[in-house]
Parts: sequence; C-alpha cells; structure tokens
Amino acid sequence: MSRWLLGRLLQAVVTLVLVAVLLFFLMRLAPGDPLSRLGADQQMSALEIERLRERYGLDQPILRQFFVWAGGVARGDLGVSIEYARPVTSLIAERLPATLLLGGIVLLVNFTLGLWLGSVQAVRHGTAADRWLTAVSLAGYAMPSFWLGLVLAALVAVHWRLLPAAGMHNPLLPPDAPVWRLALDVGAHLVLPVLTLVTVSIASVIRYQRRALLEVLPLPYIVAARAKGLPESLVLRRHAWRNALFPVLTLAGLWLPILATGSVFVEAVFAWPGLGSLAAGAVGSRDYPLLMGTALLVSALVVLGGLLTDVAYAVLDPRIRWA
Amino acid sequence: MGLTELPGSLIAGLWRQPSARAALVTLGIITAMAIAGPPFLPDPAAQPDVVGQALLPPGAGHPFGTDQLSRDVLARVVGGARISLAVAGLAVLVSVTIGAGVGLVAGYLGGAVDAALMRLVEAALAIPRLFILLLLLAVWDHIPLAALILILGTTGWFGTSRLVRGEVLRLRHEAFVTGAEALGARRARVMFRHLLPNTTGPLLVAATLGVGDVILLEAGLSFLGLGIQPPRPSWGGMIFDAKAVLVTAPWTSIFPGLAILATVLAVNVLGDALSGAVDPRKS
Amino acid sequence: MTSAIPGFAVRLAACVCVLAPRVAAQAGDPDALVIVTGQQAAMPIPTFTEGPQNLTANLDVSDQLFLRLAELPPDLVTTDERRFVPVLARSWSRRDSLTLVFELDPRARWHDGHPVIARDVVFTFERARDAKIAPKLAGLIRHIVSVTAEGERRVVVRFDRVYAEQLYDATYNLAPIPSHLVPADASVTNPPRDFLARPIGDGPYRWVRSVPGQFVELAANPDFFLGAPKIRRLFFRTAADPEARVNLLLSGEADATDNIPAPPLSNIERIDAAPGLRAVSLPSPILGYLLFNQHDRTDRGKPHPILADANVRRAIGLALDRRQIVQAVFGRHADVPYGPVSQLLWIRRGLPAPPAQDTVRARQLLAKSGWFPRAEDGVMARDGRPLELGLNYPLTSEIRKQIALQVQEQLRRMGILINLQRLDGPVWAERRSRGDFDIDFSSATQDPTPSGLTQSWSCTGGTNVAGYCDPSVDSLFDRAITSPSGPAAGRLWQEAVRRIEADQPAVFIYATMFVYAVSRRFGKAPLRAESSWLHVREWSR
Repeated sequence: MSRWLLGRLLQAVVTLVLVAVLLFFLMRLAPGDPLSRLGADQQMSALEIERLRERYGLDQPILRQFFVWAGGVARGDLGVSIEYARPVTSLIAERLPATLLLGGIVLLVNFTLGLWLGSVQAVRHGTAADRWLTAVSLAGYAMPSFWLGLVLAALVAVHWRLLPAAGMHNPLLPPDAPVWRLALDVGAHLVLPVLTLVTVSIASVIRYQRRALLEVLPLPYIVAARAKGLPESLVLRRHAWRNALFPVLTLAGLWLPILATGSVFVEAVFAWPGLGSLAAGAVGSRDYPLLMGTALLVSALVVLGGLLTDVAYAVLDPRIRWA
Repeated sequence: MGLTELPGSLIAGLWRQPSARAALVTLGIITAMAIAGPPFLPDPAAQPDVVGQALLPPGAGHPFGTDQLSRDVLARVVGGARISLAVAGLAVLVSVTIGAGVGLVAGYLGGAVDAALMRLVEAALAIPRLFILLLLLAVWDHIPLAALILILGTTGWFGTSRLVRGEVLRLRHEAFVTGAEALGARRARVMFRHLLPNTTGPLLVAATLGVGDVILLEAGLSFLGLGIQPPRPSWGGMIFDAKAVLVTAPWTSIFPGLAILATVLAVNVLGDALSGAVDPRKS
Repeated sequence: MTSAIPGFAVRLAACVCVLAPRVAAQAGDPDALVIVTGQQAAMPIPTFTEGPQNLTANLDVSDQLFLRLAELPPDLVTTDERRFVPVLARSWSRRDSLTLVFELDPRARWHDGHPVIARDVVFTFERARDAKIAPKLAGLIRHIVSVTAEGERRVVVRFDRVYAEQLYDATYNLAPIPSHLVPADASVTNPPRDFLARPIGDGPYRWVRSVPGQFVELAANPDFFLGAPKIRRLFFRTAADPEARVNLLLSGEADATDNIPAPPLSNIERIDAAPGLRAVSLPSPILGYLLFNQHDRTDRGKPHPILADANVRRAIGLALDRRQIVQAVFGRHADVPYGPVSQLLWIRRGLPAPPAQDTVRARQLLAKSGWFPRAEDGVMARDGRPLELGLNYPLTSEIRKQIALQVQEQLRRMGILINLQRLDGPVWAERRSRGDFDIDFSSATQDPTPSGLTQSWSCTGGTNVAGYCDPSVDSLFDRAITSPSGPAAGRLWQEAVRRIEADQPAVFIYATMFVYAVSRRFGKAPLRAESSWLHVREWSR
C-alpha cells in the first residue's frame, strides 16, 4: 500500500506540473492581458500602457516570464496579484477560511441530510413520500443558485429583516467584541448562503444514494437478512450501505475542489468573500499570478480528492487491492 | 436483458407506470411547443415599445408578460425550448458516452491505463472550463451552436467517468464478472456485455441530473457571452437577463424557471423508470 | 446515526435565526456611515493609483485620508482661479503668468503628529512627474516644469506655458503624501508594504483597518484643522454584485452608495420608496457613444469602406431615436448629449440641444451616397453589397447590452444590419485599440477638465482609436488649452464640440447622472459630482 501511495504522490506532482505549464501558456494564448482594459476604461494611451507593461514585467519573453514564475513557486512565492496589488499567497490565505466555512458546512449538510433522505426514499420506494421528496429535491436542483439566493435575500433579509442580506461580518461590530457575539454574527451571515447552496445541490447526493440503495435492497442477501428478523437499520447499515457508498464517495471526492472554488454566483449575490469569486474574477481580468495561484490550489485539491476516494474504495471493499 | 431493447416496447413498458407516463407527456408537450409553437407567437426578438410596454405583468396580449425590452415572455420561453433542450440533450449524450467509456476502461483494465486516464481527468478538472471557453471565443467571434454542444459535452464527462470507474472497481470481483473471465470472454465483451449494464444506475442519474446542469450552466455562460447569442432566447439566458428585476418583475424569471423545472423533473422521473426497467438484476 | 444530525442542524439554525437579529440590532451605531461600493480599496494612496489601481474605490478612500491643496468650486469650472476653495493650501498667489505660489496651512498635520511641510508637497510632485512611477499622472501634469519649496510652508510651482487651468493642474490630480514615511522609489508595481498596511494621511479621516474582500474602516480625525467630522466611523463596504448592493441598502445594513445600479429603474424607485432612504441625482462623468471606425479594419492606411463616408455616419445618427433609448434605459436620469460632453463638464452650459430623430433625412443622406433599399428585404445596399456593420461591446456592461439591442432593432427598421459582437473585456479592449471594429460602443469617464477631450478627438490623441482627424478641431483645441481667459477658453471648447458633432465621428447616446442612495438619518449630506464622498467630513444627522 505504501509503495502505491508513493507512486500516487509522484503522479500527483507530475500532474500539477503539467497543469501549471499548460495553463501558463494557455493563458498567454488568450487575447488580452491584465492591462488591456486600461485603454478603454481609463483612456490610457498605448504608450502609457506599454510603460506600465514594462513595470509589471509583462513585456518579457514568455519563456522568461514562466521561469521567473516557476522559480517563485519553488520558493513558495506565488507572485503578486495585479488586480489586488498583494501577494497571491496572502489573498488566498485570507479568503480560505471563509471558503472552507461555507463549503465545509454545505458539504456536511449535503452528505448527512442527503444520505439520510436518499435512504428514506429508497426504503419507501414507490410511496408518496418517495415521490414528494423527488419533486421537492429536484425543484431545488432546477433553480439557478443566484435566483434562489436573491429570492431568499429579498424575503428574509430585506422584507422581514431577520438575517443579514450579504457579507460575512457586520462591519459595525468592533473586532474586540466577545467571541460568542462575533461567532453569532458570522453564523447569521452564513444561514442564507448555506441554505441556498444546500437547496440547489442536495438533490444529487439524494438521487445517487437512492439509486445505489435501490440496486442493493432487492438483492437476495438483503431479503434474507430481513427475513431473519433483523431490524431495518441494522440491515441497512451492515449490508446495504457498504455497496451503496461507492457512488457517494466518488461524489465527495469530486466535491473537494468545489469546496474551494465554491459557487461563484452564491458568493456574488451574498458578497461572500470566498475564493470562488476571486478565481472567477481573475479569469475575466487576466490577472495571471492570481489565476495561476488559484489553479494550482484547485489542482492540488482535485488530486487529493481522487487519492482519498481511491483509498476509501480500498477500505470499504477489501477485494480492491492497489498494487 | 441489456440495452438493446427496442425503444417501442420500452416506451410501452414506461407508459404503464403513472409517473413515467406523466413525464413522457410533459416532455412531449414541451417538444411539440418547441417545434410547432413559434409560428403562432410574436417574434421573440421584437421590441415593440421599449418605453411603454416593458416589464408588463401577465395579462391580455401577453400571457406571460414582457421583459425589460418589451419582448413577449411566452414567445421567448417557447423559442428557447428548442435551443435549451437541444443543447442540453446532445451535450449530455456526448458527456455520458465518453464518461462511461473512459470509466469502464480505466476501472477494468487498471494499472497504467487507469493511472494515465485518471491523471488526465484530474488535470482536466483543474483547468477552469470558463477559461477554455474564453479561449475559443477568441478564435470564433461567437461560438457556433454545434461547437458549444461539443464543448459542453467534452468538458462535462469527468465526473461521470469517475463514478463509472468506482462502480466497475466494486463489481469486477463479483461472480458474474469472474465467471465470464473464466469462460474466456474477451475483455471488451466483459466490459460492455457484463459491466456496463450494471453501471446504468449511476449513469442514468448522471445523465438526468446532467440535463438540468447543462441548462443552468448555459445560463451562466450566456451572461459571459459564451452561450446562446442575443437576441436568440434560451431559458437559462432569460433567467440571467432577469436577475436585476427578480423581485419587481418575477414573471420574467418564473416562467422560464418553470420550464426548466418541468424538463428536469420529467427527465429525472423518466430516468428513474428507465433504471428500473433495465436493471439486470430484476428477474 | 444520521437521523440525529438533521434534527441538531435544524435546532442550531433556528437558534441563529432567532438570536441574530437581536445581536445585529445592538451592533448598530448612529454615528457611523456605511457606504457600499463595487470594489475594495487596495491602494488608496496618491501617486499609487495608477494602471489597474486607478479605481473609484481607491480614489474615494484616498480623498478621506489625504487633502488636496485646493478643491474645485461647486459648479466645477476648472478655469477660474479665484473660485477654487482653499484646503491644504491656505492661500495662493501669482508671481508671474507662469508661476503659482502656495502657502500651506500651518495647522495641517499628518495623522502621526508631524506637521505637513512644503517638502512633502515637493516630494509628491516629484513622484507624480516621474513617468516611470506614475505614467498617467505624469501625462496629466506635463505642463508643470518645477516644484520647489521656499521655507517650511511655501511651495512654488512653475509651468511651461500660459493657460487658464494652471491652478487646476496643480491641485486636482494629486494630494500630497508624507515624505518621511513613503520610500522615494515605491510605485504601484513596488508597493510600500508597511505604509500600505497603515496609511498615514492628513485628511479628515484616519485609517483603522481593512478586512479583505469585505470593508475598509476609517475613523474621524478629532484634530482635523478644518473641523473634526461629526460622523465618527466611516466604512467603505464591498459588494461586487449590483443586486447585493441594493439588498444591503434596503435591509438597512448600508447607508449610502454612489451609483444605484440602474437599469433597471425599479432599483431607484424601490430605494426612493424605502422609508429610510432617499435617492439624490448628481451629474456623472459618464459618456456613452457609438464610435465609428474611419479606417479599414485590417489595413489602417485605407479608409473604412462604409463609415469613412460622413453621409452614412450622419444617417445612422439621424436614424436612431436616442431620446427613446435613453428614456427606456435610464428614465429621467440621463440626457442625450450634444457632442462628446458628459454632464460633469462645465462647458455643457450653452450647448444646443442634440438633433432629434429624422428617418426621412437619414434616408436622403443614404441615397445621396448611393445606398438604396433592396427589393426583397428592404436592407440598404450599394452595388449589390448590403449595409452591414458589426457593433462591439464588452459583455460586462448591462447598459450597453440593452442599448445595443435597441440600436440593432431601430437600425433594422431602417434597413441597416447590425451584428452584435458581445466580447469578453480584454478581448474587446484589444480589438478597440487595434482598430479592429466597425462600430465600437465606448464609454468614457471624463475628468472635470475639458482638455481631456483631446485624448480621443484630436488627430494625435492617445486614445483616438477610430482615426478621426479634423485639423480645424485640433487648432480649436490648441487655442482653447492655451487661452489665458476662462470664458474665452469655454467658447473655444464649445466651438470644437460643435465641429465634432457636425462631423459625427460617433453617435453620442447617453450622458448619465449618478443616482446616489443616502440614508435619511443624515439631515446634512453634501455630495460632490467630481468625487462623491469628498465632503463626508461635513455630514451630520
């Protein structure tokens, strides 16, 4: 197992390097650079923009720019964002807690509530409860996230004034306020974005779990266990779940990078200071250092997700052996 | 029982289940509207009176109201049906096919093939899809519909491949697989004749959820100028256009939203019924 | 196992929902002002707001931290020296027609206690005139040849020519920064980390903290020599999404914004109707226009096959009902401009009304140039070639997207085919600067000085991407810039604008107003068109 793990880590490094190289040159291929818009937005003349390009090092040959950047990465320096004028590592570090908080809670709710509802639907397959849960969960899935977010904000925050409309902190709360008040403040700001994200994404967990269980439940050994008089929960837990968990585990591994880049639309309409809007904005403004930094982060998370899933497969089913 | 069942008897089988029947009828109505509706409705691109008739609530003359540019919402919902359904359906077809194929091969063959394919998938997942689309936008001034479908399909199969691979890993030690191998079946036969039918469960969920995904994805892309070009309507694009008047003119987003909801529900219920129908374990 | 978790989560959420509003209510503060904007101020320091950092957000915060030598009069006339308002400079006088002498107010102090001295002003000007540090600023104050200190409080500024806007050039574009705290070689690409973390200025507000991606907090400077501000805490809160900004205003979490996102007009109506808010309109520096490319798209040496013809350009202008477009998109919060003049420019007063739609005349002009409607579809054609043009606009602009659709529809009825090219921001900008467009939907943010017009409308203008060139306009520009008399300069500018309008190198579609939202809590809330929050120091309840 450990030799395999080492091999996977090596492969991970190779993948990351390939992604970095590919993305670096792909980005330069796309027309426009970080300073292109200055001519139109601020009426800067071509000459002035050229001067600025020199200052940012954007006039250097591409290969030289790549080695400068790569050398920085090797030292742990991801460069300086052109749009935010701050080191990329700081920017990412600042936004990571907010992202992990929102993404983590959504993941937790989805994979607990979702698994539970999926099993309920499978056990009560064909009943009214099954049909209603399908309808409700898919109704949520079919809503665009920004639409639901704005509707919730309009109703709960603007009309009823129950919760904040946007942001992560109340700026008026002084930073030396007691911890429980600060925590409650963040908690209040979390409710609507979490509700929005869970509503639009929980259906996938529910449906995969339901389908997986439905395939397992009619199997002879399950029927036999029931016939033996074993309680339903034991039947499910001991026998059915092990097989049904595979699709769900794959889903969880795939969601790890989404945890980081989040839902751009929900971050936007709730002004949530997460990495998703940071990364998406970097594409639009061609902020090369920031783009590369976030891409590397996502890459690492994708690879990690895949690794964890494969390990989980082996744990769940001993017949799966990684040489 | 495999996937070579004749469509006719399949539909007949589905028709017998009430929920599947409702789904088929819904999809039929939407398709009929998409094909036969437009001639009876005003031009979805016409802006008769931008000052006086913009954002009219549903009423006489405009059963679904008008949008910010005084365009008839009903005409746009019907007009958008064709495009939204075509794009979603075809893109999902492409992505499910590729994803199933890659997942089967990687999961069954294992070893270096699995490693290479999965690292490729991981690299592809790390590259922002948005970015690829922006790049292509530089090549074409606006992305032609066929290219859009192809791109959505070829960038949407990664998750499906991992799901299928997971199932294959779980199943390859089952008796029906080892038995076939012992009988000397070729690897391709084992993959497509024995393993594939047993992965239809998650595959169908992926496909049916994928339809909703693509329609909504197209909404975000339209906002970025990468989806359907204005003034051609699309459901997702309509909801995005209505973002600023969500609260004050809800009809501009509710009607296309209901259309999306109906499609997503119908497709998923059908997929459910289909899984039940093709499950090889049913006797 | 799992069935317990949903119950727990529901109870937790319910607790939060119930307690949070009470916590929120306690955290209100009547002496605080929360302004919500679209971007965060990352570098709010004069001479660092260059290139990508030349953002309204940076300028807004910078205006609170740093004082200018003098401010524009309320009517924004840039040429009358006697009516500028003294701020950091207590007074100024003329030594001769090329030299201005400023006396700094001796009460002015940096937030760390050091007095503001002439050396600080000289230091700032040296940085601003260095094109390697501040390329844009250096271009704007290129007529200043030397800035020297005479003693602790006197600054002498010398110009290279006589012109009416000398005082404007010396005071509007930059506010002095502390020479004892900022390294001389720092620039936007080499930022001074320590100073950025805690900027020290001399203005009515001092820096408290910045929470990345969320807000910047400032506190009133109690020792401010022009009177301590009554608003004790000032916040600039960031919400990039326009709907999020509107929601924050309506929920009471924000007190003001500088530009209510509109379209749709319903946002302005909702804010005006809200009991705690009111909407205030001010002239904005925004000008939107359809720019015609006069060169061939692929070969800049050749004239554009269709648009080099003035008749076609005028016909397109006359074919459009600009009044209807402006009214549909902006309601009463914008006008159709005459020539390239936004509502902010003082030369606007006295210009005639822009020509109204005249489709008959438009057709006549087209016919004069040989364009006639085709029999089969009514599309204008000449020698078998249809009158078809591309219209480029950036996809981030909702306003331009809506107007472009209306323009396309209106011109279609005229028989002119417009292909909409909705482009990603940098791609749009690149094509624009390369001259690869037929019609470009441009939007300019103008400075209060009319001399900014030369950038886009003089033959050698730095941002003149369309190749418009009229030597008579250029000579009018020169005479206006060098005119020593304000009123005479104004007349010359207006004559130049009239020529431009007649040549029709562009169809000028909208000159907007900014509609501000301000909480009714503030009884006294003066706003400034050239720099929104400049006078927050005078706000009170």
